[in-house]
Amino acid sequence: MILHARAQRQAQARLSPCARRRWLSQSASERLVMGPVQSYISTSRDPFLNLSIEHYLLQKSGPETTILFLYVNRPSVIIGRNQNPWFEVNLALLNNAYEKKSEAPPPGLGVVDLVRRRSGGGTVFHDEGNVNWSVICPPAKFTRDTHAEMVVRALRSCGIDRARVNERHDIVLDQGCRGPATDAEDTHRTPYQSASGTSPRPLKVSGSAYKLTRTRALHHGTCLLSSPNLNIIPDYLHAPGKPFMTARGVESVSSPVGNILLNNADFIRAVQEQFHAKYENAGIREPLQVGNEMLDLEGVKKGYDELRSMEWTYLQTPQFSISSKSEDTKDPDLELSVRFGALNTGSLKASRLQSGEISLPEQSIGHKVHEMKSWDEALDPMLAGLDKSQRQKLTTWLDKMLPSAKVPRQEIR
Amino acid sequence: MSGAIATSAVAAGRVLQRSAVRCSRPQFLRLRAQNPARSFSLSSRVLEKKYTEDHEWVDFTPGDKIATIGISEYAAKALGDVVFVELPSIDLEVTKGESIGAVESVKSASDILTPISGTVTEINNVLEDKPAAINNSPEADGWFAKITINDPAELEELMDEGAYKKFTEEASE
Repeated sequence: MILHARAQRQAQARLSPCARRRWLSQSASERLVMGPVQSYISTSRDPFLNLSIEHYLLQKSGPETTILFLYVNRPSVIIGRNQNPWFEVNLALLNNAYEKKSEAPPPGLGVVDLVRRRSGGGTVFHDEGNVNWSVICPPAKFTRDTHAEMVVRALRSCGIDRARVNERHDIVLDQGCRGPATDAEDTHRTPYQSASGTSPRPLKVSGSAYKLTRTRALHHGTCLLSSPNLNIIPDYLHAPGKPFMTARGVESVSSPVGNILLNNADFIRAVQEQFHAKYENAGIREPLQVGNEMLDLEGVKKGYDELRSMEWTYLQTPQFSISSKSEDTKDPDLELSVRFGALNTGSLKASRLQSGEISLPEQSIGHKVHEMKSWDEALDPMLAGLDKSQRQKLTTWLDKMLPSAKVPRQEIR
Repeated sequence: MSGAIATSAVAAGRVLQRSAVRCSRPQFLRLRAQNPARSFSLSSRVLEKKYTEDHEWVDFTPGDKIATIGISEYAAKALGDVVFVELPSIDLEVTKGESIGAVESVKSASDILTPISGTVTEINNVLEDKPAAINNSPEADGWFAKITINDPAELEELMDEGAYKKFTEEASE
């Protein structure tokens, strides 16, 4: 089997560049089942691709292998598997950039992708000042802290002695004055930790999320090194509809964040060193570079297409409802419930003073929120009793709270 | 179901006591001798429970087509606080070992695998509003789905309670 693959590889290496690309991916998939400790780094900045390579490694690597995968994404908002994009993300800000087809004026960052990842947890913002690290291992070796501790050791080896793992399995930098020395091996304490709570809150620099399968455990995290966008990230993670919604699923916990002020290459090298020291008791080995050529692997392509699909991003949203809750008692009171990303039930009262209530009519049920072209049309029979200005006010409000989606741009390969 | 069985057993016992008062000693002994036979036929209809190495359980009455599945107490403890449950849709056809849903706990997404092949006939909607039911009562109120079994032979391959207990003890060593 191995001999066969090697012969094929040699044959392909003599062929066209296209075949060579195949050769690279062939060698990547071969290595997946070979060494017990493997290290990869991505040359791509595409968040959909990097998460799909990671998922492929999770699914296809040998059950006893331990894998490190490092990648950097272009500006993107990454929501957790069981989150709601209308609740977590300012979709209008993302849409602006798509519609203008060029760099949007500040505070826009130009095109920012929206990605629903496969692991749990909350929403994060990625850009080139953030390095993502990911460790895949057998479930027996897995704890929620093990690899955050490994990354803290990497940071401390770069001189970042304020770094520690907190009780949420995230990495923070303590902001207090230096106190009595702590055990240097203890990755959960630093001399800068404030016991009295008088010093500023620790700054979060790395968030964790996990995906557990039958045979494997994946722990991945961000690491905020030098993002130029810290001041505008909150704009992207502020959803106007949030105060009006009740949502099942997972709500993000927001924390003050900060840059570590390290360069990417130093961090990457330090994490690789700590990884090899932990699992091989050895020095750093050259990681295998992976990138666009991985799309030649059917498993990667399949996951990639799924992550980019509107179905995955929007219809996977846990059930939620939105209520207009207007301050003005004369305003119409609308409530809509959305299941699998589509209108499911709803009711309208012409005003809070009236008792009569109209239910969401049959023809409105099933309209997908992310495909909504006109709320006025979708809810037409229900809104018939409202006067023109009330009706317009209500549909404009819905447009603002539940924006429709723009198709992600095609990656140029 | 098990409640109904218990009630009828108590009723049967009462009838037995009443008749015991009126009947002679040999008759009473004969009646009492019948009792174990009767309870034997009852206990053969009691639920059997099997476990998988992936920490799912399946409850079934031998001869019945429908089984209930869920995750074990051991798994629920390992997951931590469950905050979201994704249930399968009714009529979904599933193959043993396939993902049938998912749970999220402490930032972790975990797949739930079906221990048997068949068709989903019922789901535990309570888990949508109260995902914590999986932690509070993983092997009873926190059940996940009911499945019409395709092949009862698949159940034979699973562990009984004793074997599963041993398996989890070895796993945590």
